[in-house]
Amino acid sequence: MPELILGIETSCDETAAAVVADGHDVRSSVVSSQIDIHARYGGVVPEVASRAHVEMMVPVVAQAMVEAGVEPGDLTAVASTVGPGLIGSLLIGVSTAKSLALVWDRPFVAVNHLEAHLYSAFLEDQDLELPLITLLVSGGHTMLVLMEGHGQYRLLGQTLDDAAGEAYDKVARYLGLGYPGGPAIDALAAEGDPQAIAFPRGMKNDGYDFSFSGLKTSVVNHVRKNPDVDTADVAASFQEAVVDVLITKARRAMAETGARGLCLAGGVAANSSLRQRALDVAAEDGLKAFIPSRSMCTDNAAMVAAAGFHRFGSDGPAALDHGANSSLRLPTLT
Amino acid sequence: MLVLGIESATAQVGVAIGGHEGVLASAHSSRDRRHAENLTPQIAFVCEQARVEISEISVVAVDVGPGLFTGLRVGIASAMAVAHALGVPMIGVSSLDLGAFAVRHSPKQIAACYDARRGEVFAARYRSVPGGVQRISEPAVWQPDDFAAELLAGGEDVLMVGDGGIRYREVFEPVASVDFAGPGTAHPSARSLVELAHPRALREEFVSPSEIQPLYLRKPDAEINWQTRDNR
Ligand SMILES: [Zn+2]
Repeated sequence: MPELILGIETSCDETAAAVVADGHDVRSSVVSSQIDIHARYGGVVPEVASRAHVEMMVPVVAQAMVEAGVEPGDLTAVASTVGPGLIGSLLIGVSTAKSLALVWDRPFVAVNHLEAHLYSAFLEDQDLELPLITLLVSGGHTMLVLMEGHGQYRLLGQTLDDAAGEAYDKVARYLGLGYPGGPAIDALAAEGDPQAIAFPRGMKNDGYDFSFSGLKTSVVNHVRKNPDVDTADVAASFQEAVVDVLITKARRAMAETGARGLCLAGGVAANSSLRQRALDVAAEDGLKAFIPSRSMCTDNAAMVAAAGFHRFGSDGPAALDHGANSSLRLPTLT
Repeated sequence: MLVLGIESATAQVGVAIGGHEGVLASAHSSRDRRHAENLTPQIAFVCEQARVEISEISVVAVDVGPGLFTGLRVGIASAMAVAHALGVPMIGVSSLDLGAFAVRHSPKQIAACYDARRGEVFAARYRSVPGGVQRISEPAVWQPDDFAAELLAGGEDVLMVGDGGIRYREVFEPVASVDFAGPGTAHPSARSLVELAHPRALREEFVSPSEIQPLYLRKPDAEINWQTRDNR
């Protein structure tokens, strides 16, 4: 009998539910995105997000169960993201998951959203060999993690200021490209010259931490001084600077830790240039690159169910008085 | 017909279960705004105390507000999930109705009034009728001063119930016709919710979980700013 986990994710602006068997076999993955709702505000508005989550949560769960062809009694556990994220949004998913767990008499499993992202790669490739370097890049996070085993992580570095996705959003807003910034810059960059402008590579050769605020300032200053500059060149050169720093550090981390491969995770991992470069360097170094499909990079509940499967295996169920924690950290080895 | 009532619109979170015999068990807590932490264990607790299997519940009633958004949503999301998981219908009741219902035997006009933060209150006026209360003004957000003036203009003796009256007592007290219900009715109660919902359940006045709408009464700030900018 496969172990079926219902996963629930509401940490930011996606209302999601999924059923995953044995930690990797995705039986259903339903994501109700709020991007259109937040686009006019130029970013995610917490109160608006929470209101949408309440409305969408039960229909999304119902659809995930129907698409998977699963009855509540077939479930091994109900897992939900408990942090980090927007507190009002997280509470919708946690409250829903605990209620379902209580009524269906199934264990409840508390999942760390960052750990869930690390598991997105396992949904599509079960042959991943550990240890792995995972580059987790999203609107809220930029971190380089060494995964030594299930639940065993070392945080090698993280951003000291803006997250990579945040830099994309800010630059896109400045260039008048709208929200979300990632896909807009990615598309425009395809028409520009990535070598046109030599934007700074913050901390490129300095440890594993990241800094993107200087790059963002540099883009703004460049456009201000050169009002006639080709926006496509700016987008391409900005993207080149971000990807260069991310890939350089990830590659060095693989070499220095003896990792077998590189995984990308998080919304920015949907970026075409980053994906291509990750494949290129891994091939050059004779290592494996694993890049989840775009729908598994962005927030989804299948990764929550996958991480929940392993957490349930190691820690057992969480108590029904579990809450949410907006600033939860990745559990790391010391 | 067993009704499970879930209430979390104010600083309190509560659950009750009951039916034709009245309320069988209830639990309320109001310490440290631990709505999400406390609610699920409270559901399990009241079922146990009432010696009821959760599967015996036929309707889930929920306080739909107005109230403090984050806590309110914890109750609504939980209630929707319980109803969905059980495959049973729901009944939504306003927090202000619950407040007024708790003092329904008063011969005076009733003003239910909850603290809405930001120097405002959520309020509505009621009068006592056989078997309950009847709303005589729509739930709304008020500046306490304005609501006091409204009560004064009404010229009737008023019994004020809810933590809004307690917090802004110095604003309402000068209105001579206003009297205050005790701190025991500062928050809407899940017991009242079950008592109010049970006859409605018998009349099958229920909705599906997807039809439950929170009564926010306030737009998100971002939407207000956006509309202001757009109208300029
Ligand atoms: Zn994420």
